[in-house]
Amino acid sequence: MGMHLRACFALAVALGAANSAIAETRLDTDALQLEVLAGSCANCHGTDGRMVGAVPALAGRSAEQLEARLLAFKHEENTGATIMDRIAKGYTDEELATLADYFSHLPATAELTP
Amino acid sequence: MSQPWNRLSRRQLLKGLGGASALPLLGAMPSLAIGGQHAGHVVVVGGGFGGATAAKYLKRANPAIKVTLVEPAEVFYTCPFSNLFLGGLRDMRSIAHNYDELRQRYGVDVIHALAEDIDADAHKVRLSTGDTLRYDRLVLSPGVDMRWDALDGYDEAAAEKAPHAWKAGHQTTLLKQQLEAMEDGGTFIIVAPDNPYRCPPGPYERAGMVAHYFKEHKPNSKVLILDAKDNFSKQGLFTAGWQRLYGDRIEWVGLSNDGRVTRVDADNLEVETEFGTRHRADVLNVIPPQKAGWIADRAGVTDSSGWVPVKPDTFESQQVSDIYVVGDATVAAPMPKSGFCANAQAKVVAAAIASSLEQQPAPTAYWANTCYSLVGPNYGISVAGVYRVTDGAIAEVPGAGGVSPADAPDTVRALEAEYAVGWYNAICQDTWGTQV
Ligand SMILES: Cc1cc2nc3c(=O)[nH]c(=O)nc-3n(C[C@H](O)[C@H](O)[C@H](O)COP(=O)(O)OP(=O)(O)OC[C@H]3O[C@@H](n4cnc5c(N)ncnc54)[C@H](O)[C@@H]3O)c2cc1C
Ligand code: HEC
Repeated sequence: MGMHLRACFALAVALGAANSAIAETRLDTDALQLEVLAGSCANCHGTDGRMVGAVPALAGRSAEQLEARLLAFKHEENTGATIMDRIAKGYTDEELATLADYFSHLPATAELTP
Repeated sequence: MSQPWNRLSRRQLLKGLGGASALPLLGAMPSLAIGGQHAGHVVVVGGGFGGATAAKYLKRANPAIKVTLVEPAEVFYTCPFSNLFLGGLRDMRSIAHNYDELRQRYGVDVIHALAEDIDADAHKVRLSTGDTLRYDRLVLSPGVDMRWDALDGYDEAAAEKAPHAWKAGHQTTLLKQQLEAMEDGGTFIIVAPDNPYRCPPGPYERAGMVAHYFKEHKPNSKVLILDAKDNFSKQGLFTAGWQRLYGDRIEWVGLSNDGRVTRVDADNLEVETEFGTRHRADVLNVIPPQKAGWIADRAGVTDSSGWVPVKPDTFESQQVSDIYVVGDATVAAPMPKSGFCANAQAKVVAAAIASSLEQQPAPTAYWANTCYSLVGPNYGISVAGVYRVTDGAIAEVPGAGGVSPADAPDTVRALEAEYAVGWYNAICQDTWGTQV
C-alpha cells in the first residue's frame, strides 16, 4: 500500500523538506501488513484488486457486500464459486472482514504517477 | 492524493488479524533520506515472476528505497501459457512482457545484464557489464537451471535436438517447430522428472495441449509420457479430462511401470528407461531434473540439494544474511514451484526488507497459490492452497485449498478455462504491468 507513503512524501515536498535536502520517510507498518495479507488476491484480481475482466474487480466496492460474499464462500455450499470457496476457507472471519474493508477503501481507478 | 482511510480505522482493521500481537508499534524509527540519498539500496537479480514482483512491491512499500533490477532479457516470455502456444491457442507475443512500467511508473532501475558473481561479505554484485553494485539487501529470484548431468546423454547440445522447453523462449519455439514438422501418425514423448521441479502440473498440461493440436491437425498421432514418479498433480482430473477430450491419444507410464528414463539419445530421438526399455519418438521433449539458478551457488545460499533453504517468515537465506531468495530456487514446500508462489513470496520479501531497512520486524506472512491447467481450450482445472507459518515452518491451512471437483459439469470446466485467462492477465499485470 504505497499510497500512504506517497502522501507522506508529497507532504515532505510541500514542506520544503526535500528541497532543503533532508526528507524524512516513515514506513507505514500497518499498511504493509495489510498489503501482505491481501498480497495473493492480486494474482487473480490484479494489483489493488483493480483488474477488470473475467475475474471481478474488488477495489472501491461496498465493504458489506464484499464481506458477505467472502463469508458465504467460506461457510455456505452452492455459492456458485469455482475457486473462492477453496481460498476463503484459508482465512479467519476477521481476516475476511479486514480484506473486505481494505479493498472497499482502495480507489477503483489507479493513480497514473507514483 | 488522498489517504484511503484514516489511521484509526486501519488500527481497528488490524486488530482482527491473527498476527496483531506481533505488529510493530507505530512511530517507526524514521530514516533520513539526505540530499537525494535513499533509504537503502536493494538489488534484485532476475526479472521473472519473483524478481519483477519484488522490485515493484519494494517501491510500493517505500518509494525512498533505491531498487535496481538486474535481468539480461529485455523481453520476458512466461512459461505459464507457453503450453497454450504449443497447442496453437496463442502466439509468443501474447506471453511476452517488458520492464517499461517498472521503470517508468515505479522508478525501478532496470539493468539488462547478467549478475556474474556475488561477494556476500562485501555486499557486492558483479555484472557482465563489468560494473559492480553495492547492496544493503539482495533479492535473488533466478529460477531454475537444468541438471545437465542427471540423464545420461542429455546436455545443452542435446537440448537443441530434444528440447526441454522448460524455460520459455527459443526452446519453446524450437519444440513448436518440431511439432509442426512432424508427420501424422508420430509419437510425441514427454520425459517427466521426479519432484521437486518447476510447475508440478506443467508436463500434464503440455500433454493435453499437444493432444489438442494433434486432434485438429494430426489425428493419428499420440502422446506418450514417461514419468519418474508414480503420482502427479491433479492426476485424477487430468486423466478424466484426457479420456473425455482425447480418448486414448495420451498414454502415461509411471515409475512402477518402468517409466523412469535414465538415458537419452538425442540424435536418434530415443530414450532408455531404468529397466532397459527403449522408446523411439518423432518429437522428443525431455524435462530433466532441475536445481536453483547457478547464481544462487555463487552467493553461497544453496545447500547439498541444489536448492535454497530460507527462513519461513521472511525468505531470507538460512545461510547468508541480507540475501533473500524467492521463487523456484527456494525450498518452500508445501508451496509448489509456481509463478503464483514466486509472486506471493516476493510480496512477503518486499515487506520484510522494507521493514528491516527501518529496523522494524517483518509483518506476519500470508501466501496462497492456485495453479490452473488447461486440458483443452474450454476445459480448465485447478489446484489451490493457502499457507502460513506454523511452528516455525510453512504449512498449508487445513480445510482450505484442494482441487476442482471430480464430478463437475462441462460448464464449470469452461468457466475455469475462462478464469485461467483472467488469472494470467492479472498476475502478469501485477508482476510486469506492460505487455510487449
Ligand atoms: C510449461 C510451464 C508452464 C507453467 N505454468 C504455470 C502456471 O500455469 N501457473 C504458475 O503459477 N506457474 C507456472 N509455471 C511455473 C513458473 O514458470 C515458475 O514457477 C516461475 O517462472 C518462477 O519464477 P522465478 O522468479 O523463480 O523464476 P523465473 O520466472 O524463471 O525468472 C528467473 C529470471 O532470472 C533471470 N536470471 C537467472 N540468472 C540470472 C543472473 N545470474 N543474473 C540476472 N538474471 C538472472 C532469468 O533470465 C529469468 O528471467 C509453468 C512453468 C512451465 C515450465
Ligand atoms: C485463483 C484466483 C483467485 C484468487 C487468488 C482470489 N480470487 Fe477472488 N475470485 C476469483 C474468481 C474466479 C471469482 C468468481 C467466483 C468463483 O468462481 O470462485 C472471485 C470472486 C471474488 C469475490 C466476489 C466478487 C463478486 O463480485 O461477487 C470476492 C469478494 C473475492 N473474490 C475476494 C478475493 C480476496 C479477498 C482474495 C484474496 C484473499 C481473492 N479473492 C483471491 C478468483 C480469485
